[in-house]
Amino acid sequence: MPVSSRIVATAAAICFAGAALFAQDGGGARQALRTTNAPPKATGTTPRAPDGHPDLTGVWNALGDNLNGVPNQIANNGISIESATVARDLHSGQLVTVFPRLDNRPKNNEQAERAAALLRRSGSNRPIYKPEYWDMVKYNDHNANEEDPSNNCMPAGIPRGGIPSYIAQFPNYVVFIYPGQGGLIATQTMYRMIPTDGRKHTPLQELDGSYTGESIGRWEGDTLVVDSYGFNSNTWFDQIGGYMHGENMHVVERYKRDGNTLTWTVTVEDPDYLLEPWTSTPRVALLNPDPKAMLPESQPCSERDLAHTVTKEHH
Amino acid sequence: MTFTIRVALGVALVGALAVHSVDAQTPDRAKTLRAAAEALGMDRWSDIGSAANTRLPGIDIVNTQELIASGMTDVGGRMVKTDVHVALGYNPAAMRVELTPEGGAAQHTIETVRETWAWNESQIGGGLVPGKGTATPAMAAVRERLLRLWTLPFGVVKAAYAGGDKTVVSTEGGATVITAPLGGPLAGMSVRATLDAKSLITKVEARADNPALANLASEATQMEYSDYADHAEVLTDIKTPGHIVGKRDGRTVFDLTVKSWETNNPYVVFPVPPNVKAASAASPTSR
Repeated sequence: MPVSSRIVATAAAICFAGAALFAQDGGGARQALRTTNAPPKATGTTPRAPDGHPDLTGVWNALGDNLNGVPNQIANNGISIESATVARDLHSGQLVTVFPRLDNRPKNNEQAERAAALLRRSGSNRPIYKPEYWDMVKYNDHNANEEDPSNNCMPAGIPRGGIPSYIAQFPNYVVFIYPGQGGLIATQTMYRMIPTDGRKHTPLQELDGSYTGESIGRWEGDTLVVDSYGFNSNTWFDQIGGYMHGENMHVVERYKRDGNTLTWTVTVEDPDYLLEPWTSTPRVALLNPDPKAMLPESQPCSERDLAHTVTKEHH
Repeated sequence: MTFTIRVALGVALVGALAVHSVDAQTPDRAKTLRAAAEALGMDRWSDIGSAANTRLPGIDIVNTQELIASGMTDVGGRMVKTDVHVALGYNPAAMRVELTPEGGAAQHTIETVRETWAWNESQIGGGLVPGKGTATPAMAAVRERLLRLWTLPFGVVKAAYAGGDKTVVSTEGGATVITAPLGGPLAGMSVRATLDAKSLITKVEARADNPALANLASEATQMEYSDYADHAEVLTDIKTPGHIVGKRDGRTVFDLTVKSWETNNPYVVFPVPPNVKAASAASPTSR
């Protein structure tokens, strides 16, 4: 385990001490194993910037499974494992049947990947496309190994990038960093410099479409609202699902800090593709409690697997 | 009574008791339901990947599915070769059944249900976008269509877990039987499923515990499932039937061979068309 991952794992252990088991790993070390994936409860006070707004500055990866701080990717899909006996779909509120874990025998990679692919897709909160695109979305996800635009080391784009792993807040702008790490979340490091100085959007027709679009921030009370348009159509807008979009996509993100948590929701409007706007199930990041926490270097992305893929199984 | 007769009666009584005791042995409900869920592949740990940081319980990961089948169906009392396309989901409870009988465009039907709404679509998603197909409310069909969803193997297991203590597991004729109550618009009905030695559901019948629903139960189809395998192109380890036979009053009304049955996010959605919602609001008796 690299040093950086150990730091993150340690932070996660501290934060989840109330819902964790300790197990011996092969080296005899004690490792925290989380037994729930429910969104973390906020603790601590919310720091304020000199202008009175909440200060979002920090490394937001303390949930620790990866640089992006995603605790367990079905949480992104809105399935909350609240205890060993209770799970629910956060969007619909419907209870999900829980099966007590009888043993901890490792699954082989094939079993684990097939289960993971289903888990990421079991939530109920799905964007509603116009009917003429239903088959295309299905095709995209079904053939994601070839069709996923981020599979060839391309940027995940916005809002697929999710919660930034690092935020730096200044009086008139914020900087978001999304470390590239390969795999599902992102394949190329992205950054955004978002003005919060009250400026207006550039007219859409004057923008060249880009992966992160043109983003303008504003404060609504204690919530940072980031309004973006001017995208290209080269990305999908959620981590799974084949959710393509057009160049007229409009994205509104809401960032709300409460103590050591950051809650992110996004609304996607696309009059060309969607029947109605889609709003994500809120996702919660946890502040890295280490005051010296740093983002480690992103590994370079070099796609080498795709040419050897022989089935349609995928993340 | 002679000694011989008494001995014979005694032997018969012991034998009867022995036979009765075999059938009277109540299988453990929790173990039976879990075995049924595992046989179908519904029970998966909720860790992602190698689970290096988590030790989460298993959850039911079946939500939406899509199956393509073909075979013979009863069309107006005549068995006709038919292509069948079914999209379904359990959160929310919804199902879209498209039947395309051979040689009869006029008999092509798309019957959809979601929770308390039922409607017929002129094309997939009809009625959602002006000028692109129509949706005709069919509120009277809500229960009948929902019953199709809950008589599928996955529906039975979900209903059995949701039923809690009201779900009964028994042994009948040597086979394990799960009887589970249904909820929502189907409250007052139950499904009765027979399991094989591998805990796979081979037969499902609907029953009306509420006399007012007796007609629905008598019209309900008895389902038979066999040839379980992973019938998905994107493999999931979910076991689905490869052969489905529906019977009504002992007569076969459809006999289908499954071509594919996908669980790995077939993008299937069931938005309710505005005119269907309006019709439901105007006539709430079906809700």
